[in-house]
Amino acid sequence: MRAMFSDAPRVTLAAFYWAFILYLLLPLTLMMAMSFKDANFVAFPIGDWTFDWYGEVMQDKQFLEACLYSIMIAAATTLAATILGVWISMLIVAEGIRGQVIIFALACLPAVVPGMISAISLRIFISTIDMPTGTAAIILGHTVHAVPFVVVMALTRLRSMPGNLVDAARDLGADSVVAFFRVTLPYLGPALFGGMIFCVLLSIDDFVRTFFLGGYRLTLPMLIFAKVQGGMSPEINAMATLVLVVTAAVGLYAEHLTRRARTR
Amino acid sequence: MEPVVQFDNVNKSYGGYVAVENLNLSIEAGKFVTLLGPSGCGKSTSLRMLGGFERPTSGRILLNGKDVTRVPPNKRNVNIVFQDYALFPHMTVAKNIAFGLELKGFDNQKIHRRVSELLELVQLEEYARRLPSELSGGQRQRVALMRALAPDPDVLLLDEPLSALDAKLRQQMQIELKSIQEKTGKTFMFVTHDQEEALTMSDTIVVMNKGRIEQMGDPDTLYGRPGSVFVANFIGETNLLRSTVLGMDGDMTTLSWNGITITASQGGLAPKLGEHLYVVLRPEAIHCSVAEPASGNRIKGKIRQRVFKGNHTSLMVDVGDGTLLNTLVHPSEIAHLSGENIWVGWKPETATVIPDRHAHN
Repeated sequence: MRAMFSDAPRVTLAAFYWAFILYLLLPLTLMMAMSFKDANFVAFPIGDWTFDWYGEVMQDKQFLEACLYSIMIAAATTLAATILGVWISMLIVAEGIRGQVIIFALACLPAVVPGMISAISLRIFISTIDMPTGTAAIILGHTVHAVPFVVVMALTRLRSMPGNLVDAARDLGADSVVAFFRVTLPYLGPALFGGMIFCVLLSIDDFVRTFFLGGYRLTLPMLIFAKVQGGMSPEINAMATLVLVVTAAVGLYAEHLTRRARTR
Repeated sequence: MEPVVQFDNVNKSYGGYVAVENLNLSIEAGKFVTLLGPSGCGKSTSLRMLGGFERPTSGRILLNGKDVTRVPPNKRNVNIVFQDYALFPHMTVAKNIAFGLELKGFDNQKIHRRVSELLELVQLEEYARRLPSELSGGQRQRVALMRALAPDPDVLLLDEPLSALDAKLRQQMQIELKSIQEKTGKTFMFVTHDQEEALTMSDTIVVMNKGRIEQMGDPDTLYGRPGSVFVANFIGETNLLRSTVLGMDGDMTTLSWNGITITASQGGLAPKLGEHLYVVLRPEAIHCSVAEPASGNRIKGKIRQRVFKGNHTSLMVDVGDGTLLNTLVHPSEIAHLSGENIWVGWKPETATVIPDRHAHN
C-alpha cells in the first residue's frame, strides 16, 4: 500500500509528460502521414500509400516560386536585420552615449508588439509615405520584427567580451573600423550566426505582416493559406511536411554549430 | 643620449580625483623600468597615457623626442602586454602575433619569418596553430608578449602581466621576461604592485604613491637606502626606529632610540640636532645572540614570537616597552637561541636614517 502511494505522484507526472508529448507530436505525425495517402482527400483510413504527392509538389510551379520568393525575402530581411541589430547593440554597449536603456527598450519593442498591431501600423505607415505594397514593404516589416532578436543575441555576446580586446587591436595599429571587422565581428560570430538563422525562420514563418504588406506574389505561408481555403488535400500536407523537415533541419544544424563555437 | 620616453609635467585627473600629479620621468633606451606602487597610485594610468588610451589633463608625453600627447594608440610605436593578455580568441597563436605586422603592411614572407623567429624565442613553435583557449596561462603570457614585441615597438609596456599566474610560474616568468628584455635590447616599462617582481627584474624602479613619484633608483639603492617611510615599508620587510638626533660624525649619525644610543648611516640626509628621524633597519641586518656582541649597536630583548619560514626563522623580539624588532635568523643559529632572553645587535652602517615625513608637514 505504502509503495503505491509514494509512487502515485511519479506515475501522474509521467502520464502528464507522455500526454504532452502526444499532444505535441500527434498533429504533426498525422499531417505527415496524410501526405503519403493515395487519394484526393484527407481522411482516415489511409488505405494505399504513395510518394506521388511529393512528386506533384516538386513540379508545382506555384510552390517553387513561393519557396524562392520566401527565401529571397528571408535573405534580405536577415541581412538588413543583422546590420541594424549589430549597429544598435554596439550603440548600447558603447561608452559615453546617453539613453542606452531607452535605445534598448525601443529596439526590443517590436518583439512584444502583437503581430496584428504591428502589421496594421506598418500598412498605415507605408500608405502614408506612398510606398507600394510588395516585396520592399514585406522586407521592411520582417526586418522590424527580426531586429530585436539580433540585438538580444549580439548584446549577450558583446557584454561577455573582454573590454581590452579592442584596446589590444588599437594598440597593435588597428583604427576603429579595422578593430571592429577583425576583432569585434569575429568575436560576435557564433551568436550572430544563431541570430541570423532565427531571422530566416521568423521571416519564412511570418503570415500576418506579409498578408498586410504583400502584393500579388505569394510567399510560402500565403500560398499554403490560399490552398487550404480551396479545401484540404494531401498535396498541402506534402508541402507542409517539406517545410517542416527543412526548417527543423536548419534550426538543429544552427544550434549544433553555435554550441560547438561556444565551447571553443 | 636622448631618452626614449619623457613625461613632461604630466597631470591626469578624473573630475576632482587626481590620478597622476606632476609626473616628470625620463626613460633611457634599453632599460627595464618598473613603476611600483599600491593600487590607485597612478602607475597604470601613466602606462595607459603612454599607450595612448588616456589623454593627460595637462603636460606632454614625448616618444623619441616627438610629442605624442595627442596621437591615438594605433599611431604610436608602443605596444602593451595587457593584464589578462587580451589575446584574440578566434585567431591562432601565429595569427595573433601576426596581427600587428599585417597592419604595418609587411609582406607575407616577412610576417611569416618574424612570427617563427618570435615563437622560437619563447619555444612555442609547435603551438603556432593552436587557439589561445588551448594554451596554459604561462603560454598565453608568452604569446601576448610576442604579439606586443612583433611590430618592434620603441617601448614595450607591461601592465601587471604576471598577476594572473601562480607563484611558482610567476617567478619563472620574471626570469624569462628579464632574459627576453636583455636578448632583444628593448625598453620595457613594467607596472606592478609586487615589490619582489620589481626588485628581481628592474634596472630602475620608480616608486609611486598617490599619483606622485616617491622615489626612483636602482633596486639596491631603493632597498638599502629608501628615501621615505613609504618606500621603506613598501619594499621588503623593515623595522623603523623612531629616534632623536644626538650628533653627527662624518657620514654617521648618533641617535637616541628606546633608551639607548645608536649609530646609523646618514644616507645623504643632513640631520639636525634634536630632529626626530626614522632609522631603517632590515631584519636580515640584525644578528641575534645569547652573549652580548662586542661592538656595534646592541640591545637586550625577549623573544615574543618565532615563525618558521623554511629557509629562515623570523623572530619578533621585544626590546622594551613592547617595542618589537623583526629579525631574521639562519637555521644554523636558531638552535642556540632556545631561551627567551637574547641580545640583538647590528652594524651601524647597515642602518640608514630617513626623514620623518609627518615631522616636516
